[in-house]
Amino acid sequence: MADLQNLRNIGISAHIDSGKTTLSERILYYCNKIHEIHEVRGKDGVGATMDSMELERERGITIASAATNVTWKGTEINVIDTPGHVDFTIEVERSLRVLDGAVLVLCSVGGVQSQSITVDRQMKRYHVPRIAFINKCDRTGANPYRVKKQLVDKLGLNAVLMQIPIGLEERLEGVVDLVSMKALYFDAGPNMDQIREAEIPAELLAEAQAKREELLDGVSMCSDELMEAMLEDNVTEELLSKAIREATIRLELVPVLMGSAYKNKGIQALLDAVVSYLPNPTEVVNRALDLDKNEEEVILQSNDELPPVILAFKLEDGQYGQLTYIRVYQGKVKKGDELYNTRSRKKFRVGRLIRMHSAAMEDLTEAGCGEIAALFGIECASGDTFCDPKLNYSLSSMFVPNPVISLAIKPVDKKAADNMGKALNRFTKEDPTFRTFVDPESNQTIIQGMGELHLEVYVERMKREYKAEVEVGQPEVAYREAITQRADFNYTHKKQTGGSGQYARIAGYIEPLPDPAEGEELKEYEYVDEVKGGSIPTEYIPSCDKGFQTAVKKGSQLGFPVIGVKAVVNDGAWHPVDSSDQAFQTAALGAFREAFEKAKPVILEPIMKVEVVAPNEFQGSVFASINQRRGLIISSTEDNAMCTVLAEVPLSEMFGYSTVLRSLTQGKGEFTMEIGKYGRVPTSVSEQLKKDYQEKRRKEQK
Amino acid sequence: MEIQELNDLSPLRVFEESLGGGLGRGNLGVLVSRHGVGKTACLVHLATDKLLRGEHVIHVSFSGNVEHVINWYKEVFREVSDGRSLSDAASVYNNILSNRVVMNFSQENVTIDKVLSSLETLIKHGSFKADAILFDGYKLTVATEDDVRRIKEFSESMNLEVWFSVSPVRADVVYDKYGVPNTMQKYTNLIDVLIGLIYNEERDKVVMTAVKTHEGMVEKPMGVSLDPKTMLISK
Repeated sequence: MADLQNLRNIGISAHIDSGKTTLSERILYYCNKIHEIHEVRGKDGVGATMDSMELERERGITIASAATNVTWKGTEINVIDTPGHVDFTIEVERSLRVLDGAVLVLCSVGGVQSQSITVDRQMKRYHVPRIAFINKCDRTGANPYRVKKQLVDKLGLNAVLMQIPIGLEERLEGVVDLVSMKALYFDAGPNMDQIREAEIPAELLAEAQAKREELLDGVSMCSDELMEAMLEDNVTEELLSKAIREATIRLELVPVLMGSAYKNKGIQALLDAVVSYLPNPTEVVNRALDLDKNEEEVILQSNDELPPVILAFKLEDGQYGQLTYIRVYQGKVKKGDELYNTRSRKKFRVGRLIRMHSAAMEDLTEAGCGEIAALFGIECASGDTFCDPKLNYSLSSMFVPNPVISLAIKPVDKKAADNMGKALNRFTKEDPTFRTFVDPESNQTIIQGMGELHLEVYVERMKREYKAEVEVGQPEVAYREAITQRADFNYTHKKQTGGSGQYARIAGYIEPLPDPAEGEELKEYEYVDEVKGGSIPTEYIPSCDKGFQTAVKKGSQLGFPVIGVKAVVNDGAWHPVDSSDQAFQTAALGAFREAFEKAKPVILEPIMKVEVVAPNEFQGSVFASINQRRGLIISSTEDNAMCTVLAEVPLSEMFGYSTVLRSLTQGKGEFTMEIGKYGRVPTSVSEQLKKDYQEKRRKEQK
Repeated sequence: MEIQELNDLSPLRVFEESLGGGLGRGNLGVLVSRHGVGKTACLVHLATDKLLRGEHVIHVSFSGNVEHVINWYKEVFREVSDGRSLSDAASVYNNILSNRVVMNFSQENVTIDKVLSSLETLIKHGSFKADAILFDGYKLTVATEDDVRRIKEFSESMNLEVWFSVSPVRADVVYDKYGVPNTMQKYTNLIDVLIGLIYNEERDKVVMTAVKTHEGMVEKPMGVSLDPKTMLISK
């Protein structure tokens, strides 16, 4: 890549159904990457080009993020299509890591919804500059001004309109560009797909001028240079553009554009804005951790001459074999180069290097700094860092949430069993929130993930892509156990009947760790050594710790991990011959079990933050449905025709809610959820859970 | 300090005493002042006090930002619990949260019928046994007498307390010496408790005056004022 100035790595993030995939599709079209347009839920059965997986095509949702390279007016743009459902959040987060900027797509009717809030929070976490695109301005009820206000109110962004619409709903004709003060129509040329500039319609002139004032005010807050120019009444288009660009990159400003991807309006202007306002790779600071220097932070340079540092951000097992999507952060990568995977500590040679356009590809000889490319046949996991063998860097580890739901699966026959193994191996590499293991007690294969839909999609993919038909059990919630009060222990482990014996006594107490402050996670376990006078020799102190750690992995109520417990050891006894590491571990285990029962143990369950959006007339049914599910209504917002209900509902009660909600609201309601916190299970429910657990154990022992 | 003690020592007890035992169910109470005097903080303090005493509260806002309202509660609770070093504050807060619902109406010109029907839906279908409803920023001064009567009837039939915070909309209102605007006069007969908030320069405090109580128009100072730093009700 000769000139990094002319490269943009952007993502498109949004709430489900705000038309993100259609927008990506139009971008490909206008950049001449595809020659005709297919609709996402098209009747022609071809589907949008970005959704390469068959399953996505069928459901009309985007699951995996394909990276696509396009060129717009001499600037290369890598578009990373991101999934829109909260269940696949890890995919969104992983894509964000490799982006330099993003387009936040919003529906002009739905506005800022929970997903947009989640995505915006993630973008803040990874410092991704963004521009907003208010899509679907052709829909009935479209109101871009309201959406812009929500960006300010709900997301706290300094959102500033760059355009105003010319007509709305079915009368949407184009937009007025407030920077150049020109009307833009999108109907020129033989295919009605070229842009046409014109004077601002007389009836909109006053409004356009007022909104331009707002734009100037908003931008000048972030730019002294513009402020001065305004005082001298000397604002040029270049200066304004420059100020907008700088403020956007500093995350102080979010330019707002609008249009309708479906009706082909506003896309070219959006592409112009991507080039004008979003940063090129050199304008973003990227950091890595030097593993040789105790994870010291290193700033990476966008310089082709330096040794390469590369992130593998996505694996895909497609029709061409295994593909590893990479982003080059420093240096460049050439065919035949030797690279070092810092996680697996293995060296490998770069074979085929390609650039992807959704399902088609192009061979490359090298990929430079800032570029996104893909490698063939590399053995690695997503999130791995590849470096020059001289370096030992890791690009900062990404935050991976713990799974909240698990499902037992059983292959239907021998062949399916083999294929299932392959599929699971692949999926766990692709998606760190998807985990799998074999339960040693029931001998069942368990898969774990972030929600019902998340696991459903993988079961479907197993069937379609790997021909592994499986039977699916009931989904199970990842419970936790905890104690509610302090309990003392004084436990002696003794086995001294001939031969070398075992002896250890430990005393102390366990108590609950205090509730974490807002936004912090509860600490799982803490060990405090208060032994005085050598009643337990120093060498056995870690043994006690180890024993407790084994004990907290499995509580005695349901066999789920115990969290939020502090174990304090303050006394004990030992025997010069019979005490051993093992003896103290066993004693700690026994001591914990003894004290646990006395410490009034409770069961905790994942409580989901649920957001339901439905037309106002169904408000009562929504309230009732949440109430029936042991849910807690936090708030309800009514907004013209729609109401948004925020609630906290236990995950175990949310199974099958999508079906229930659909029938309650005549298909007009939708909901999203994400893990909120762990909360105490009410006694009536926990008694039942314990009974079921005992029953299950009895059956297994038979 | 335990919750019980904290409640006993709360300045809200003084507040209630000066109203002759609080507002009471089936009644309407109004806090009125100019903009920016601290009504929202005051209203949230009233609600927090109720929550700490185990009551259920619905907070009705018209701002369009639920997060904002929730943050108010967080802040007020922090002030209240820190000031008295309440024991186990984090879990107390988590417990009282289940007794609060925020209802938000962001459409312009929402009718009182719509608001009341949504409240009724929440109470009935959501099985939320509200003891009090607090309207923050309802434009009572432009409401008709009929609207206010509806709210009054609602509070009686649902058997709950209703509090309003009111700021006048029109620019030309005249405030009397207690901070009560003249546009309020047409409903005074429907309101059971009317409290004016006005900034007093000499004392550098927002002074609360009970302009109307259950005994009628009395105009007596309340023995509480707003703390200038936290905007909470204090002795």
